[in-house]
Amino acid sequence: MTRTRHWPIHLALGLVSAIMLLPFYWVLKTSLTGENIFVYPPALLPTDPHPFFYVDVWYAIPFFRYLVNSVVVSALVVVANVFLNAMAGYALTRDFPGKAATIMLFLSCMMIPFQVTIIPAYLITAQMGLLNSYFGMALPLMSTIVCIFIFKASFEAIPKSLIEAARIDGVPDWMIVFRIVMPLTKPAIATNVILAFIWSWNSFLWPLVIVRDVEMQTLPLGLSRFLSVVEDTTGALYAFCVMVLVPGLVIFLLAQKEFITGLTSGATKG
Amino acid sequence: MRWSWLANRFVVTFGGALVLAGLWNLYIAFNDDGRITGRVVGPDGQPVEGAAVVLSERTLLVAQPKGNTETGPDGSFRFDGHRLHRIYIEARKPDVGRYGPREFRLYFKGENLDLEEPLRLAGS
Repeated sequence: MTRTRHWPIHLALGLVSAIMLLPFYWVLKTSLTGENIFVYPPALLPTDPHPFFYVDVWYAIPFFRYLVNSVVVSALVVVANVFLNAMAGYALTRDFPGKAATIMLFLSCMMIPFQVTIIPAYLITAQMGLLNSYFGMALPLMSTIVCIFIFKASFEAIPKSLIEAARIDGVPDWMIVFRIVMPLTKPAIATNVILAFIWSWNSFLWPLVIVRDVEMQTLPLGLSRFLSVVEDTTGALYAFCVMVLVPGLVIFLLAQKEFITGLTSGATKG
Repeated sequence: MRWSWLANRFVVTFGGALVLAGLWNLYIAFNDDGRITGRVVGPDGQPVEGAAVVLSERTLLVAQPKGNTETGPDGSFRFDGHRLHRIYIEARKPDVGRYGPREFRLYFKGENLDLEEPLRLAGS
């Protein structure tokens, strides 16, 4: 009975999903066939698919080196985000003079695009001697305001009595954050991990500005370099796109439940 | 309970990927001698001795000759130690004909390739 009632909704959702997934399918199909994307009429099913464009990409550029660079930078960003944002989010749940102004400052800073601050960021990074380094690439993304507020919302959903009890027992604040509060906010941690990973993984402009050495380039820079070197390789280009996309998709699919819970936690509070 | 962490989806996904990568590299280690073998036959199907066989590398942009050899009395030829993954093979003998160049794509550099179908010279 229920199934009968819901099938039109499921059908509509399935159609919308199919339409939204079509570009991804097309990228995957082209990476396996190398066919001209402007061919008419377009073929929905791949003809004579093969994996050799992936082999071409693997050997045409130092893909593994770029992959390692991206993984190292993303790992730095993810760890720093969870650590720093949790502390900042916890601080914003406490009462202190100027709390409202601090929150307003954070919110207003979110409206400033990164392109505006890229020159000061470059100068600061250069002064610190971090140009052309993993840490330098990770630095601007090590704490993000959106993720601070995700932690803040999650921490505020925890009963205050729990934190007060810990405080009465003499537990220091850093231990309250990492031993008591954070284990209760796994969805917020997952959200931080996914958002930080995706932002870092797809980051192009900042690495482009501060990386000088080809060996230090990340995957998005490698993709750009691949485009500039090779012109007539539709299949290899799309294969490279798939290889860049897959890690982010896998991380998202594995943690999507926690991700969605984290994004919506606090939304129904109060 | 003790091994329940093995069923974690992160462990299964990334561990599985690592295992697959390890197995693939193991397979490569046993099959990357860079050996290419085959036979050249004439239009009548008979082995051709002394045919020139040229091995070229097809990069993303150009094709570059990487080796050449001649067929033996039974029409067979062999290349050793190539480190290529996208190759062209061409064979020719004056007054008999030519074959190719035909592209062969390999899954990894130096993959052994035994051509079961003989290279049949045609035209002249």
